[in-house]
Amino acid sequence: MKKITLIFILFHFLFSVHAQIIDGLSIGIESNSAWYNDDKKTGAFNDENNNDQDKHLRFNNYIKLDYNFLSKFTVSAQLESYEPFALINYSSNLEGTNLGTYSLSYETTKIKATIGHFYEQFGSGLIYRNWEDRQLGINNALFGGKLSYRLLDFADLTVIYGNHRVGFETSDGDIFGFNSEFDLKSIFKMNNMALSLGFSYVGREEKTDLEAINYKSLTNAYSGRLDFSYGKFYSSAEYVSKSKDAIVLANQVSNQFIKPGSGILFNTGYSKKGFGLDATFRRLENMTFYSERDKSGNIFFENIVNYTPGLTKQHDYLLTNIFVYQAQSSVSFLDPELMKVGEIGGQLDLFYNIKKGTALGGKYGSKIAFNGSYWAGLKGDFDYANQDYKTDAFGFGNKYFSDISLEIRKKWNSKWRSIFYFVNQYYNKKEIEGNFGAKPIITNIGVIESTYKLGNGKSIRIEAQKLWSDSENHDWIGSTLEFNLNSKFSFYINDIYNSGDDSSTQRTHYYNIGGSYTKEATRIGLNYGRQRAGLLCVGGVCRFVPEATGLTASVNMSF
Amino acid sequence: MKNIFCFIFFTIGSWAFSQEIPTTTLKNLDGSKVSLNQLIENDNITVLSFWATWCVPCINELDAIADIYDEWKDETKVNLIAIATDDTRTKKRIRPLVNGKGWEYIVLYDDNQDLKRALNITTLPHTLVLKNNKIIQRRTGYIPGAEEDLYEFIKKNSN
Repeated sequence: MKKITLIFILFHFLFSVHAQIIDGLSIGIESNSAWYNDDKKTGAFNDENNNDQDKHLRFNNYIKLDYNFLSKFTVSAQLESYEPFALINYSSNLEGTNLGTYSLSYETTKIKATIGHFYEQFGSGLIYRNWEDRQLGINNALFGGKLSYRLLDFADLTVIYGNHRVGFETSDGDIFGFNSEFDLKSIFKMNNMALSLGFSYVGREEKTDLEAINYKSLTNAYSGRLDFSYGKFYSSAEYVSKSKDAIVLANQVSNQFIKPGSGILFNTGYSKKGFGLDATFRRLENMTFYSERDKSGNIFFENIVNYTPGLTKQHDYLLTNIFVYQAQSSVSFLDPELMKVGEIGGQLDLFYNIKKGTALGGKYGSKIAFNGSYWAGLKGDFDYANQDYKTDAFGFGNKYFSDISLEIRKKWNSKWRSIFYFVNQYYNKKEIEGNFGAKPIITNIGVIESTYKLGNGKSIRIEAQKLWSDSENHDWIGSTLEFNLNSKFSFYINDIYNSGDDSSTQRTHYYNIGGSYTKEATRIGLNYGRQRAGLLCVGGVCRFVPEATGLTASVNMSF
Repeated sequence: MKNIFCFIFFTIGSWAFSQEIPTTTLKNLDGSKVSLNQLIENDNITVLSFWATWCVPCINELDAIADIYDEWKDETKVNLIAIATDDTRTKKRIRPLVNGKGWEYIVLYDDNQDLKRALNITTLPHTLVLKNNKIIQRRTGYIPGAEEDLYEFIKKNSN
């Protein structure tokens, strides 16, 4: 601790004395704190991760410094503090105050070398990704070394080696990888056309103390990619193959159930001014990949090697985020009636701009966005007793999820704007959550949002939301009122309410009231309320909020 | 512990400086690599707007500027570069969205959010106003009408 203080004092004197040398310095500060209170309706405060009922006041603080010197070197350090424990829903490995990440990099137009913690992504991340998401408590930076080299202006080559950051420690499993990307456009001097290829390898070595294991300690994954575009048309394809490895069922690494994994991703689209169309197909089979096998499927995303997001539209409103689909990439044999080995499906996006001056477009035009997605399990033969399966190449099994949404943005005049939003969802709770008794739920959600500018920087925004479902458990209504006093101060109140019979949310008001102060790149926010987990977008900023009741404060500053 | 954080907060608050944009290569919508530093014109104001397809206030801001962007360019020669920070969940939506909306900005893609992280950007939208490759203002968040504020600042600082 004293060391950290000393470093800061040193930095302070250095920068105060030599103001000119700090042009290369960038600083980011973030503080998220909460005072959780006991809630008469939803129960007393309880932090399950840390098994704590007493420490109601929590702080998550981050300070990151990036200093560029001698034009080619950058030193970066991130100090993190979770006191006395992290905010609830964060991993209990994030505890206390310490240096979270630090690194030294050297960069020229040809070479980039980093030692320490680094972030990297190969292709779409289906084979490899390191990233940080403070709201979700994800930081799987690799601690080790990375070297990138640009060859002859058309090829990019990268090698990585290291161990995942887990809390303030590093994982036992070793990760090493190689990535290459070839831009063929510059070789063939093609007009209107672009073509690039990519190949990657990622290895994970995790030794085990067990004798007579039927799988290898080293797991290999390979990826091949192609990106193509011609004029207004574009498409891309990726295939990932993962070598045979032990399946992890209910946190137990099996020595009998050993299978390979694969992923296919295909995307194509066409777009021109005022019109865009995009379609994606993906099939995943046993594509969970962790630096330690027994961490497979952990809810904090610790030790995660690859990135397989749910490919559905990320909705913006409270009621549209109650039934959210997560990618089903793992093998799960919970019961002979509930066996999953992956997912197959896709989504389609359409954007259209109705021109100004037309009958439908009116004086200012209208913007339309449509999205549809469909996801199902893999079709195949599943053998519960012998723990084995065989899948069909492109067969669709049980339906997991579907989502159809339409958004119309309309500007009425220079002061009034409205958004009309409609969503139809199908959510197979039994399959997605492994919840035996649950029936699939079909919901229809409507949202109307209007913003009115009052002048002098004042504006008011109103949101009305309604969720209808075929289940007696879910019948939601919600609204938001936001008032922007000027460019600095903003206030809001919102509430969602379920009048259905759902045991966990029925007749509960999830209300929030708060405000924010923003000046240039500094933002201070204060909120009191009872929150469901989901995206909260108010006062111009979107954040993920975990479920809790209490007072929360956030400070963000960038220099 | 808290004392140390308070100390650090105040220490950093006491520094005042203008920061340069690091050497950065980003991808354009075709997937070709583009040097950001070469796109930043020295004589005129450049605005870097960090956004994402899932961020409603970001879209609201860029939609609002799109309506008046021609006038901005005519009067001040300002150049706006919209830097998408989507991860691959929503990355494929960038191109059809940008074209579908008919935005005339240069749109670049920040692969795995390397630039966003290097500039210590934590909340979206986040806007940097640049002159001579130096950041002369940073802003975060968007409320309706804030684009007029931004334009006043651009006009004041353009030649």
